[in-house]
Amino acid sequence: MSAVYNWQLGREMEYPYDGAFPDRQFAFVFNINRCIGCQSCTMACKSTWTFSKGQEYMWWNNVETKPYGGYPQHWDVKLLQLLEQLNPGGQTWNGAPQALKAPYGQFKGQTVFEAALKNVSAEGAQQALGYLPTDEEWAAPNRYEDNPTGAEKGQKSRYFAGGESLPQHKTWFFYLARICNHCSYPACLAACPRNAIYKRPEDGIVLVDQERCRGYRKCMEACPYKKTLYRGTTRVTEKCIGCFPRVEGRDPAGGGLPMQTRCMAACVGHIRLQGLVQLNQDGTWKEDRYNPLYYLVHVAKVALPLYPQFGTEPNGYYIPPRWVPRPYLRQMFGPGVDGAIERYANPDRELLAVLQLFGKEQRICSRYEIKEGPKIFETEVRGKRFAMYNDTIVGYAHDGTKVVETTVEEPVHIRPDKHANSI
Amino acid sequence: MQLRYADDFVEGAVFICANRRRCGPPPLQIRRFHLAREKLYSILDPDARNTAFFNLQLEWFREWGLEKMLVGPADEFPLLRRMLNALVFRRARIQRDEGAELYVGPENGRSGVVALRIERFDRPDELACFLRHEFAHVNDMLDPAFGYSPEVHLPGRNAAQQRLTRERYRLLWDIAIDGRLTAASRATLGGREQHRVAFDHVFGFWPESRRNEVFDALWVDRQPRHADLLAIASDPRGLDSTHEPVPGAACPLCGFATFAWAGAHGLSAPTRAAICAEFPHWAPDQGACRRCVEIYRIVGARTPLAV
Repeated sequence: MSAVYNWQLGREMEYPYDGAFPDRQFAFVFNINRCIGCQSCTMACKSTWTFSKGQEYMWWNNVETKPYGGYPQHWDVKLLQLLEQLNPGGQTWNGAPQALKAPYGQFKGQTVFEAALKNVSAEGAQQALGYLPTDEEWAAPNRYEDNPTGAEKGQKSRYFAGGESLPQHKTWFFYLARICNHCSYPACLAACPRNAIYKRPEDGIVLVDQERCRGYRKCMEACPYKKTLYRGTTRVTEKCIGCFPRVEGRDPAGGGLPMQTRCMAACVGHIRLQGLVQLNQDGTWKEDRYNPLYYLVHVAKVALPLYPQFGTEPNGYYIPPRWVPRPYLRQMFGPGVDGAIERYANPDRELLAVLQLFGKEQRICSRYEIKEGPKIFETEVRGKRFAMYNDTIVGYAHDGTKVVETTVEEPVHIRPDKHANSI
Repeated sequence: MQLRYADDFVEGAVFICANRRRCGPPPLQIRRFHLAREKLYSILDPDARNTAFFNLQLEWFREWGLEKMLVGPADEFPLLRRMLNALVFRRARIQRDEGAELYVGPENGRSGVVALRIERFDRPDELACFLRHEFAHVNDMLDPAFGYSPEVHLPGRNAAQQRLTRERYRLLWDIAIDGRLTAASRATLGGREQHRVAFDHVFGFWPESRRNEVFDALWVDRQPRHADLLAIASDPRGLDSTHEPVPGAACPLCGFATFAWAGAHGLSAPTRAAICAEFPHWAPDQGACRRCVEIYRIVGARTPLAV
């Protein structure tokens, strides 16, 4: 085991290998508040990569309804339980936040790598604490879709008085879109007995070498997000490849510029923004103030990692849903939740502009610029003053090519009286 | 009787065994298994590779005693060995798909097919109970004394009634099987109490004395017959043979089961005439459902009475 620095936990942690970081890291932000669970992303991925024989149960991208849904079923609850059993009451956060190095304070509990050291059997210790889901758990990706939390115990038929009012609902659910997080410390990579899983030095995408893999399924056991999947026809494991040909700029539609993945591009709700971020020697993010991902994660701090306490340093970030009870969200996204929701619910001028970049353009935006516009709206939102400015945000690719330009206010186009499809 | 396995069933079971972190096979054997398996990836022809994987995994399936776990309970039913040409095991992904079937074909003769989830190998006692129960089903299907017929003739029943009948039949058969297994001092997945709860739920329309009588008879019956079970399942209230205005009996006019009988004695002359025009042998004592009465009242009002 080596000591590596995990900035999401705000501390060093044990990992089976030394830290090795790519030049630029594949990362993405999903805005849960906007997801309508239409599964367009799921189908975009399915029709691009997993439509062949043996891949019937394989969903590299899935959208599940929380709190009850999950693919495989109850993946997160089961692992949280395992961690709780090994470290009862100890999975807590503490300490003061510190920019870049510890933005959510410090995690005092145990990661999947640290907890695994305690869970020794005759076969030896696991590299990462985990379990292999059963066939039944993989069998239905949309089980519990649209199921909200029930009424209070013993009051099944009673509606909650005021249950619909913000900031938190008593009856709630939300859609959680998931792909491989292309973690900085992947548990799948740590667990592979064949060293068949690797992290690309150019963009940090985690891949399974199909020629080295021998179908041990240790990665499936170890990945806390359960995003590696076994294919019975080839007897090897497959996983999300981050649409690497597009990220490399090899999709002709991008004109040679890096493009976002298929699931990002297909999202009709414009909930997704994907890009590449620069890293320091210790794996923390290099300051890149006008990279939209850097802004959302480290400046506005509205986007948070999914289950950071697992310790794999996932590179998928989520803007948490406003209406969900905070204890649930704190468990899922860490202690940054309250601040993130506060800022998202009362967005400032810059945040409102950056949020317009979601889903507007398939090419990756590496830098943005905001041109200030006039104030167009002013109101009070839950006791706070809110002003909206019609700013223009311009996005540039890594080589400086302008890839997107959009305004905060949706442009209105008034059609002439006579037009082609007039009745 | 030949034992046959689906390749994904054997592979899944062997992997469950190899992944058992506690009480599994010795680590050295697991290592040997993986090393032998790794070599097969060098076979390029996909069909040859599949066959090689299957053969290797079947070897370990036997080595780790998994085949014995399946064959042991089968040996308790001599009829299976005597009358089946093949006993096939395949993988079920969800609990609903689990079960045993008997297939009879001109080429392969009789084959028993058991579908089960591989996770059952993790709990050997439960697996034995499950298999014993399913083998008992196959055994009954083969036993001439049971008189099983795969086709359930229920003339005049709609799809919902047929499904209801099948569900009742399944429950009665399960009770009859577990009753016999319990009497033979075999552990079962569902105990007497559990079956009784299900039975009370499905046959709740019977008075308790009748439920006690039927359930007890089923539980102790050493030689149940398909026809008897089907008779209870298809017509538990004995309504098929009656056209009296009993709730749930069939209306003599439309033939649908009804709980809404109309007072046929007070019908007007034109309505009675309209009914008798189509059903000459109908008498008001036989009754009619409210829908039929409504229709024939309208028909009667339109048709002038013959003088």
